[in-house]
Amino acid sequence: MGGRLIDVGVCSAVLAVTMTSGIAAAETHKELRFNVAPKAALSVNNPYGSVSIKPTTGNVVVVNAVLSSDKVEVDNNFAGNRVDLQSHLLAGADAQSGRVDYEILVPPDTSLALHSSSGTLRAERIHGDVTLEGAAAMVELRDISGAHVHVKTLNGPVTLTNVQSGYVEVDSLSGNVTLNGVNGPVVQVISTSGGINYLGDFGDHGEYRLTSHSGNIEAIVPDSTSADVSARSVRGEVHDDIPLQPKQHTSFVVKEGSAFWGTMGRAAVSSTVVLRSFNGKIHLRKRSAK
Amino acid sequence: MTCVELQESLIENDSGGTAAQRAHLRDCPHCAGLVADLLVIACAAGELRAAHEPGPHVWNSIETSLRREGIIKPFARRSLLPSLTGSWSWTGWALPAAAVVLITIGILVRPHAPPPGVVTGGVTSQPASDAALEASVAGLNDNDLLAEVAEQAPALQAQYTENLRNVNDYIRDAKYSLDANPNDEDAHRALMDAYQEKAMLFEMALDRSLP
Repeated sequence: MGGRLIDVGVCSAVLAVTMTSGIAAAETHKELRFNVAPKAALSVNNPYGSVSIKPTTGNVVVVNAVLSSDKVEVDNNFAGNRVDLQSHLLAGADAQSGRVDYEILVPPDTSLALHSSSGTLRAERIHGDVTLEGAAAMVELRDISGAHVHVKTLNGPVTLTNVQSGYVEVDSLSGNVTLNGVNGPVVQVISTSGGINYLGDFGDHGEYRLTSHSGNIEAIVPDSTSADVSARSVRGEVHDDIPLQPKQHTSFVVKEGSAFWGTMGRAAVSSTVVLRSFNGKIHLRKRSAK
Repeated sequence: MTCVELQESLIENDSGGTAAQRAHLRDCPHCAGLVADLLVIACAAGELRAAHEPGPHVWNSIETSLRREGIIKPFARRSLLPSLTGSWSWTGWALPAAAVVLITIGILVRPHAPPPGVVTGGVTSQPASDAALEASVAGLNDNDLLAEVAEQAPALQAQYTENLRNVNDYIRDAKYSLDANPNDEDAHRALMDAYQEKAMLFEMALDRSLP
């Protein structure tokens, strides 16, 4: 009995080592370097797997790619200060064997266009324009300044943190969208069924428009916020925990419980905030002291 | 097929529905985005034009002025139907055919359309006539989208189906809202947003986001 257990254990260990070594043997690393001029452009199309972008000093794009099998290749093209990377799926590739994970260092002024079907798309500390698109891809952007940011997802969640002075457009069919410390001249989120959460002070003189057909919208703002806020839900509830100075002239009928329109803070510097939903709830509330 | 050839071919088939067009659109996100944008513009323009259409007296006075100035002249009567003898293009027939279908569906369905305050179900639970109307008002061929997804990424089909149902609900709600309040800027914007969402869904299905 004991000997049989040992045999099984040994076989399992051998099998595990064999499988592990098999995967390790199939997994390959690829490093690419491109010397670029200022304001370069980088495009990555990666059907399966993640793409992570971080800044580096110097005018060089450094690509570290981990290919999960020999059923996928990394094609690259460098022309006109533009780097294109394409995960090329070969016959028989699937989500597992076709996976490539990229870690890419770029000059901070690089413009990015990242596409993935399922992997995480992540970028941080960049001030070039950013376009991220993915079906189920999770999108995370952090510490972005002075950039056009355009995100499209099917059902992948989107999280933008500390995006300053941005022209931000987020379109998501059903993924939840979280904006934390996002401000700029234009911030727009359109969602069909995903929820939208905004945490921040809506900046100065910006236009913020958060729209969801059936998702809930919540905006949590500090005391210092100056904004002209209008909220309206056709069939959902609208709550406002912050005393607003009501507007005298409104372009729609403000019905208690389904709409509000008023100003908080200093009107002279206030941003315009539009919150709209058909079926979702809308909630504007103050950030707690904690 | 190159990008230029595709764009020229859109004159003959503006939905990007031929085999060659579809093959090109699968590989070219630029053209896929262009086609999706064209579709959404075509759909939204019709809706918004109706809301902004000036009254007949405006057109009459414009026409009178133009005739008085000699800028326009009487023209020969022309059939609304495209010529069978000319170079054939399905788009020539698409407009009258779509109009007939829409009018028929409108007559059948409109009296039973739910009021703006009623939440309606999804595609699968709707009556056939309502689903047909929805497909028509959306203006985009949902079945083509789902067929493309089924072919390219079967695992994502359920997600696309769900999202398609939701975005069609969005469009329908926005249309009801606009019908009820033609002067409401929010309603106009909502309809544009809803079509934009649908265009994005199509773009993703045609674009390289699908593996």
